Amino acid sequence: MTALALSPDSPMTTGHAPGAGWLYRLHRPALYVWIGLVALLAAGLVWLWGPLTDSSAAAWREYNEFCLKRGSCHYDPDAIVRYKDVYGYTTAALTALPFVVAAWAGAALFGREWEHGTAQLAWTQSLSPVRWLAIKLIVPTALVTAGTGLLVVLHRLMWSAGDGRIDTAKSWYDSFTLHTNGPTTVAFALTGLAAGALGGVLLRRTLPTLMFALACVTVVRLLADQVMPHLWPAVTRVSGLADGYRGSGLGVDSGLVTATAAHVADPGCGPTLASPGCERVYADLDATGFYTTYHPESHYWPLQLTATALVLAVAAALAVTAFVLLRRATATTASGGAETVV
Amino acid sequence: MTDTAMAATALGKRFGRRGGWALRDCAFRLPAGRVCAVVGPNGAGKSTLLALAAGLLAPTEGGVTVLGTDPASARARVGYVAQDKPLYPQLTVAETLRVGADLNPDRWDAETAGRIVSAGELDPKKKIRSLSGGQRTRVALALALGKRPELLLLDEPMADLDPLARHELMGTLMARAAQYGTTIVMSSHVVAELEDSCDHLLLVGGGRIRLAGEIDDLLGAHARVSTAVSTTAGAAGPAPATGGAPGGPPDLAPHTVVESRVTGRQLTALVRPAGPLAEDWRASTPSLEELVLAYLRNPQAAPLTPAEPEEAAV
Amino acid sequence: MVEYRIDRHSGVATYVQIVQQTKQALRLGLLRPGDKLPTAREVVEATAINPNTVLKAYRELERDGLVEARRGVGTFVRRGLNTTPADSPLRAELDAWAARAREAALDRDDVAALFTAVLDEHFAVPDPNGRTGRTGRDDRADRHDRHVRHDMNPGDPS
Repeated sequence: MTALALSPDSPMTTGHAPGAGWLYRLHRPALYVWIGLVALLAAGLVWLWGPLTDSSAAAWREYNEFCLKRGSCHYDPDAIVRYKDVYGYTTAALTALPFVVAAWAGAALFGREWEHGTAQLAWTQSLSPVRWLAIKLIVPTALVTAGTGLLVVLHRLMWSAGDGRIDTAKSWYDSFTLHTNGPTTVAFALTGLAAGALGGVLLRRTLPTLMFALACVTVVRLLADQVMPHLWPAVTRVSGLADGYRGSGLGVDSGLVTATAAHVADPGCGPTLASPGCERVYADLDATGFYTTYHPESHYWPLQLTATALVLAVAAALAVTAFVLLRRATATTASGGAETVV
Repeated sequence: MTDTAMAATALGKRFGRRGGWALRDCAFRLPAGRVCAVVGPNGAGKSTLLALAAGLLAPTEGGVTVLGTDPASARARVGYVAQDKPLYPQLTVAETLRVGADLNPDRWDAETAGRIVSAGELDPKKKIRSLSGGQRTRVALALALGKRPELLLLDEPMADLDPLARHELMGTLMARAAQYGTTIVMSSHVVAELEDSCDHLLLVGGGRIRLAGEIDDLLGAHARVSTAVSTTAGAAGPAPATGGAPGGPPDLAPHTVVESRVTGRQLTALVRPAGPLAEDWRASTPSLEELVLAYLRNPQAAPLTPAEPEEAAV
Repeated sequence: MVEYRIDRHSGVATYVQIVQQTKQALRLGLLRPGDKLPTAREVVEATAINPNTVLKAYRELERDGLVEARRGVGTFVRRGLNTTPADSPLRAELDAWAARAREAALDRDDVAALFTAVLDEHFAVPDPNGRTGRTGRDDRADRHDRHVRHDMNPGDPS
C-alpha cells in the first residue's frame, strides 16, 4: 500500500552519541554565574595580591619604622584594614565555594532533574542513564576544577606576596588559609558535585538532595581538618619550662615532658619566666619542659596533597556509588558493562 | 528487521525489597506496526509496563524486549512520553526542541517537531513553565516524535488535551503510523478515547495482563448472550451463573464465563464460547468497552493472553 | 477528492462508514473513474482513526472492483456506481407499502424495525474477510436482538 511505502531511516543508524550541547542549554545561566563568580573572586585576589598587599606592607613598614622606633606616627591604617577586610572576604568566599557548588549540584544539576522527571526525559531521548550521569559529572568537574583551581593558585600567590611583609597576615596554618592556599578546596568542591549526583539517585527530590550534598561537603571538610595533621609525620620540639612552647605551625599535640620523658597534660599555668608561681606546679608534676608536636611550614605540601588525595577518593566513591545505583535502577544493555562512558 | 515491536516474558517489577508487585507474570507479544491500547484502572501497572519498555526501570524478574533487542539498546529508536509530561521548565519551547536535536544527533527531525508545536499556535519563545497542561503534552509529543521513533510509548497522552487538540494530535500519531509503520502503544484508563485509533489491546489489571491481542480477535472470541431464565423463581439481582441447578439460572458450561447476571427473568452474560452456543440464546459481539469493563469488574475471570496471537492480515 | 466523516456513535463500524461514504460519493458523482482516493495517511490525519481501518476499507472497495491500488502511487477509482433512479417501479411499490403501513397506524419506529428485519432476512451481511469480530458486528443495527449464526468460532484464523 502506498501509505506504508515509506519507512524511517535505517534502524541501525547508531552513529555518534549525543555530546554535551544539551547540558550547556540546560545550565547556561549557571555557567554564566560560575564564570562571573570566578572572575569576581579572581579580580579581588589579584587586587589583593598587587596593590593592596603593597600598600598594606608599606603601611606596616611605616608603622614599624615610625610608631615603634621614633614614636611619631605616620602611616596609613586604612591600607592595613582594607587588606585585612578584602583578605577575609575573598578567603571566606573561596572557602564557601565548595558549598555553593554542592548546593547547585544537589538542587539544580541533579535533584531537580529527578524531581521533575526530566532525568527520565533525557534517558528516553538517545542518551543512556549512565552516559547522562557521566556527562553531568565530567563537564562540571572540568569547569569546577578550572575555576576553583585558578582561584586557589591566585590565593596562594597573593598570600605568598604578603607573607613576612604584613604583620597581620594569616599564617599558613590558619584554618581557612590552610585550605584556600591549596588543592583541598578543589577536592571539596568536587565532593559537592559527586554528593549531588549520589543524593539525586538516592533521594530523587530537590531539597533533600541539596541538603545531602551540603552535609557531605561539611562532613568531609570537618573530617579533613581532623585527619589532616595525622597524614604526615609531625615534628616534636621540647623547650624549657621557662620559655614555654616553641615552634609554630599546624599543631598536633602539646603538653609537659616529665623527668621520665613521659608526656603529660599541660595544667595551663604558662612559662615560668612569665609566671614564676608555676614552678611549684611543675615541680609537683615532675615536669622538665614543654613539648609540642606540630607540622612546620615545610610539611604544607605533603599535608595538602595527601589530604587532597583522600578527599578526592571520597568524591570518587560517592560518584561510583551513584553510577552503580543508577545502573541497577534502570535498564542496561544485555551485554552488561559494554556501555561506553563518554 | 523484526516483526515484533514489543514482547514480554514472565515480566515482573517490584518497587523496594518489601514493596508490592506493580507488575507480575506478564507475557505478551505486540507485532510491529500496531497501534496498541494499554487499558486498565489507575494503579493497574500501565505506567510501570511502559517505563520498563522504555528502559527507565530494570525489571525485577523476567524481561521485556523492544524492537528485537533489550530496552537499553533500543533507546535511540523508542519514543516515550511520561504521564506527567516532564520538560525542562527553565527552557523555552524552541530551546526544548534544540535540546531534542542535541540528544538525538543522528535522528532528529526538526521539521516534524516544529510542525507539531506550531500546530498548537505555541510561541516558541514561551518558557515551558508558563505552558498549560495541553501545551506541555504537545511539546512532549514533539520531542518524542522528533527522534523518528520506530516504537512510540505514550503514557496517558491525551489526558490534558482539549477535544480539538486531542483529535488533531491523535490524527498526527495515526498519520505517523500510516506513513512510517510506527508502532504506537498508548495507555489510558478511558477506553472510549482509544477505541477508534487502536487495533491491539493490552488490558492490565492488578499488575497482570488480563487480555492481550488484536482487538478484532478479542471481540470475536467473546459473546454477549442473553436468555430467559426457565423458572419463574428467578431471583432479582446479580447471582452466580455457573450452577445450572433446578430453579437456578441455566448452565453456561462449557463456555468460559467472564461475567453473568440475572435480572428478573433474563440472564445476561459475557462468555468466551467453547463451542456452538445454545439455539435459544440471543448472542452478539460485545463492544470493546463492554469487554474491558466486564473483565475489570470480574478480577477472577480467566485471562486471555495468547503468547502468539494469530496474525491478522499484515 | 472525498473527505470522510466518522461518526463514533453511529454503531456502524468505522471501516464500513468509509466504504459507504466512498460509494455515496461514487453515486453522487463526486468521485469519478480515475480520481484518486486520499491516502491512508491523509485520512487518518484528519479523522484520527487507525490506519489499518482505512486500508481495510480500501481493500473492500478494491474487492468490489470499485477502486484499484497502484503501488507507490495511490488508490484510484475504477468505475462509478449506477444510482437507482428515483422513479423506478421498486420505489413506487415501497412508497405504496409505506402508505399502507401508515394507514395501519404503525409509527416511524415500527416501520423501521419491520423494514430492517425484512432487509436482514433477504440480504446477508457481507463478511469480506471471513473473519469474526467487531467488523461483523457493527454492520447490524439491531445486533443485540439477533441470533448469532456462524460468528461464534473464536480465533477463526484468516
